[in-house]
This record gives sequence, C-alpha cells and structure tokens, in this order.
Amino acid sequence: MTRKRFVTLSLVPAIGLLATLALVSVAGAVWFSLMNRTLRSADYDFVGAYNFLRLLRDRRFMNALEISALWEIITVLGTLALAVLLAVMIFETVKKPLWRNLLCFAFLVPVLLPRVAAAFIWRFLYSPSLGVINYLCGLVGIGPVEFLADPSLALISVAVVDIWQWGLFFTVILLKLLETLPRDPIEAALLDRARTWEIHAYVTLPMLKGPLISLALVKAVESLRSFDLIFVMTGGGPGTATETLDLYAYQMGINMGGRISYASAMSILLLIVTTVAFTIIWKAGKKWAS
Amino acid sequence: MANISCTDIVKSYGAHPVIEGMNLDIPDHEFVVFLGPSGCGKSTMLRMIAGLEEVTGGRIVIGGTDVTTLPPGERGVAMVFQSYALYPHMSVADNITFGLRRQGIARAEIAPRLAHVAQMLGLEPYLDRKPKNLSGGQQQRVAMARAMIKTPKVFLFDEPLSNLDAKLREKLRTEIRKMHLQLKTTTIFVTHDQLEAMTIADRIVLMRDGRIEQMGSPDEIFERPATRFVADFIGTPAMNFLHATMQDGHVARAGNIALRLSPTDFPRLRPGQNVELGLRPARMKLCPEGTPGALTGTVVLVENMGAEGQVITDVDGHEMSFTTPAFRGLAIGDRVSFAIDPGHVHAFDPQSGHSLREE
Ligand SMILES: Nc1ncnc2c1ncn2[C@@H]1O[C@H](COP(=O)(O)OP(=O)(O)O)[C@@H](O)[C@H]1O
Ligand SMILES: [Mg+2]
Repeated sequence: MTRKRFVTLSLVPAIGLLATLALVSVAGAVWFSLMNRTLRSADYDFVGAYNFLRLLRDRRFMNALEISALWEIITVLGTLALAVLLAVMIFETVKKPLWRNLLCFAFLVPVLLPRVAAAFIWRFLYSPSLGVINYLCGLVGIGPVEFLADPSLALISVAVVDIWQWGLFFTVILLKLLETLPRDPIEAALLDRARTWEIHAYVTLPMLKGPLISLALVKAVESLRSFDLIFVMTGGGPGTATETLDLYAYQMGINMGGRISYASAMSILLLIVTTVAFTIIWKAGKKWAS
Repeated sequence: MANISCTDIVKSYGAHPVIEGMNLDIPDHEFVVFLGPSGCGKSTMLRMIAGLEEVTGGRIVIGGTDVTTLPPGERGVAMVFQSYALYPHMSVADNITFGLRRQGIARAEIAPRLAHVAQMLGLEPYLDRKPKNLSGGQQQRVAMARAMIKTPKVFLFDEPLSNLDAKLREKLRTEIRKMHLQLKTTTIFVTHDQLEAMTIADRIVLMRDGRIEQMGSPDEIFERPATRFVADFIGTPAMNFLHATMQDGHVARAGNIALRLSPTDFPRLRPGQNVELGLRPARMKLCPEGTPGALTGTVVLVENMGAEGQVITDVDGHEMSFTTPAFRGLAIGDRVSFAIDPGHVHAFDPQSGHSLREE
C-alpha cells in the first residue's frame, strides 16, 4: 500500500464522521431557517428568505452583531496585550527558575477553572455590596460601582474575566516562547544600545510574530464561544449591553420566543460571517507573518 | 581607538571558578587572539569585556574609562558572534543600522555610513534581503558591517569563522586582517583554531583552564613555547615528545636515541636530570643513515598533505613523526633517518611542564 493511500484510508472515517455531523446540523439549520417554525405551535409554513430579510432589519440583531465584534476585539487584544506585558515583565525581572515556575503555575490556575465557576467568582468580586473590588474602590473614595449593571461598564467587566483567564494562560506560553529564543540577537541588541523595551519591541517580539498570530487566532476562535461566561455574569444585560449573537440566538430560539426558525437563520448568518472573517484574517495573518 | 586593561579578573559560576585572576594589557591598535581549547574560558573573558557577563572580581578599563560596571551598550565595543546573531526579521540594511538608530543618529548621517560599510564588505546587492536569504559567509559579513558601522573603540570577535567551510574561513580571515590594517581598531579575536590564531594575530594569549598559559607574538609562541601544553597545542602536525635523561656533554638520552642540546639555550641542565624533549615534525629533515645526531626508525604511516607529507615512524619503540617534501619515495616498513638542528629542540620539566630554556 502506498503511503498516500494509507493516509487517505486512515483519514476517511474520521473526516466522514465529522463531515456528516457538521453537514447534518448545518443542513438542518438551513432547513429550519427557511420556515417559520416556533416551539409554540406545531404547524409551520415555508417562508423562503423571509427570516434573513427580517434579520437585516432587526435592530437587536444589529446590536448583537456589534457587541459580538466588540467582544472579539476587546478580548483578543486585551488577552494578547496582557500576555505580552506580563511575559516581558517576568522575563526581565524574575530570573530564578523556581520563582518563574511558581508564577507560571499560579497563572495556569484561572484557565483551569470551569468558565461558569470563574463567572460566579467574579460576579461575587464585582458585587456592589459584598464585592472586594467595590470595597477597594470605597477605600479610595469611589463607588460603589455597578460593574455588571452599568450598561457602559458591563461588557468591559465581563471581558476582564475572560482576559484574566486567558491572558494569564497566554503569559505562560509567551514566557516559555521567550525563553526558547536564541540569546545572541538579544545580546547583539544590548551591544547596539537598545533599551529593554526596545529589545522586546524590535527584536524578541518580531521574532515571535508567527506564534503571536497563531495565539491571536486561537483566542479569536475561543472568544466566539463565550456564551457560558456572559450568560452567567449578565445574561446579556443590562438591557442588551452584553448580548452577543449567540446569546441573542439563544434568547430568540429557546428562552423567550421559541422562534427556532428565526434563531436558525441567525446561526447560519453567524456561521457565514465568521467563516468569511476568519478566512480573511488567516490569509492576512499568514502574509504578514512571512 | 583604545587600549584595554584587565586587572585580576575573576569569574565563577557558583563555586566553580572559570577565570582565575587574569591580568591582561592590550595596547591601542593591537590585534590580539585568545587561543585555547574549548571550555578554557575564552568566550567568558570576551563577554566580560563586552559587558554581557558580570565579573566576579577585578577591573576592566577601556581607553582610560573604568567600564567594569557599565552596561554593554556604553562601553564602546562592537561584537561579532559565532552564530552571527543577526536580527532575523530585519533587512540587511536595518540590521546594520540598528545600533546607529538606537543612538538617535539622524537618517541623513546614517545613509552614507551604511553605503560606506556596505561597499567595503561587498554587501550592496543584498541590503534589502532578509538574513535567512543569505549564505553563511554573507551573513557573517553583515555581522561585521553591523560592528564596523558603529566605529567602536574595540572589536570583539567570538569564533566568527567557526561555522564556515574551510575555504570561506580562509578568505574571511584575510578580510578581517585587511580590515584591521585599514581601521587599526583594537581587536580581540577568540578562536580554538591555532592555525587561525597564528595567521591573524599580532599577539596570541594562549589560555588553559581560565589562566593565561603564555602570551606573545605568533613566532614567540611557536618557537619559544613556555610550557609543554603550549608546545603541544601549537603547530600541525603536533610536536613529538620524548622522555629522556641528561648525560655528560649536554646529551639527552632515551634508550638508543641520543640528542645533543644547545648549551647556550639550556645552560642549567645537569647530568642525570630528567627532561621531556619536544621535537617539531616540521623542523626535522630526512638525512642519510649514520649522520651524527640522526634518529633512525621504520615507517609506520605516510600521510599525504599535498606539498609535504607527514611520515610517522617507530623509533626504538617511540612513535615520532616528521614532515618532508620527499615523502613520495617512502613506503611502510622502510628504514628512514631524520635529524633536527639542536637549536630547534625543546626541553621541558617533566613535572611542571615548564620550558627549561633560558632566554
Ligand atoms: N552560564 C554558565 N554557567 C555555568 N558555567 C558556565 C557558563 N558559561 C560557561 N560556563 C563554563 O565556563 C567554562 C568556560 O566556558 P567558555 O568561556 O564558553 O569556554 P570557551 O569559549 O573557551 O570554549 C566552561 O567550562 C563552561 O562550562
Ligand atoms: Mg567559546
């Protein structure tokens, strides 16, 4: 048996299974989205593109789209910024391997927490009456701040939890990546009179461009799946201030309306938008990294 | 341009000393080579002068300024690494000018300086390329350009040619030497290759286990090795060593071998004293059998080196080698005689390894 045939044969079952599962559910969603099914009544009609056309005029959908985009940008950039800052700081200040490993271990804990658990912990921390954060705010004379109930703060407050979990995790990854870099270019930069921040801005981080892009993509995909975190912390509120597309689809299809056809249409649109967006980002990222 | 002076330099990693009290003075314009076997502390010494490694004790002065605690960028040194250490994501031009840009020098001033060094090192066609698209030799030239453009007080090279093939190594060695003749910048060059050291150095600092074994011009090191270690380290093929006992008439005898030593070079040798003789293969000549002072043995192996050949012989149970252009007439098992001028015989104390020669 040739190598190629072997590879093909061993891949077929797994890919077949995945394709079937993905295709069936997508096809099902497409099928639903072309009708006006609801959970309330058994009868339904075929309505064609009506659901999609309505979506484009749905202000709440547009709001959810905007929140989703904001959520992606804030969490991805926030995570990377935190990771880069912390990793460089630790790389420069903590030289003893023991301390570094202890820090890394501590930084891994948040991401190991189930998201729902993290959400509850932070809901408590954010609490206006009992929360530690508001207690600290009180000491410096601000607050109480309604972190989760203030529409202008809620999204950021939830994003902080996500960035706390993933930023610290990525810090560990980046620190390990920094440690694998050859010392010589860094020393050459030292001799070239580069200051510490210049060494990282011009030498080490550009050397890590490829991994950084990969991390950004991983985080972007991961951020799409933040339903549980947002659901537990704010449930999409206050109002629709933290209602991302998946939360809205959930509200529409299962929670309130039971309008599963409408929700399906939304999911299909979400699928198309993310696929297109990620293809473009992926291509651009690859070009930029090379 | 500057002289370098290192006083009582000590370096240890934990309890393990790597450099044990080095004293070194390098005058302005000199091209000094740190030579020694791997792990003897050459790189450590160089990196302490560069400021990449802290000294455990001692003082380093460059051009009259005590730089012992200054950061690397403020010592006025430029270094070329064995790995080239180019910034991989920057173009050649950006690599070369990075240091000047960090010093805040105006672009208008950088451009002509870049053009000058690029022209000197033949890098003009490659200025827009990334390092990974260059050959090893070209990358090393970029590293040299990056050092040169800063017009430093001191150049430091850490085995810059070790990753190149023999031909290119020779070519770049010549270029480095020419560059030094032109710029006259004080230079320290680290290598473990004795031939490289001999060809390039004004002065060789031969190191062993964190100490200076001998310091001197290539000729001094070659002709007047201070210790057996130096004699053994320098020269290819390696020196022949022979344990012998002194007899009357300044003759050293080992079994049937008897060699007369020069009484002016070794006035203090006494009959009965044990010595270790050192005979350079290149200083021995084929001679007719029976010539006074000649060694006679049978050929064990002949190694063709092109113009000359190394003949390894068995002389009275001792393996001795010599080089001769007339090696082509010799075959394994032949009886050969070869002689050495008494002026070229070295003698060392068997215990301490120090040379017994009096200056
Ligand atoms: N960071 C370090 N920690 C511990 N020992 C080191 C370190 N760097 C070098 N050494 C030791 O110092 C000695 C000299 O090293 P080095 O200066 O690199 O030798 P050379 O350049 O002459 O080959 C070696 O025995 C090496 O093991
Ligand atoms: Mg070395």
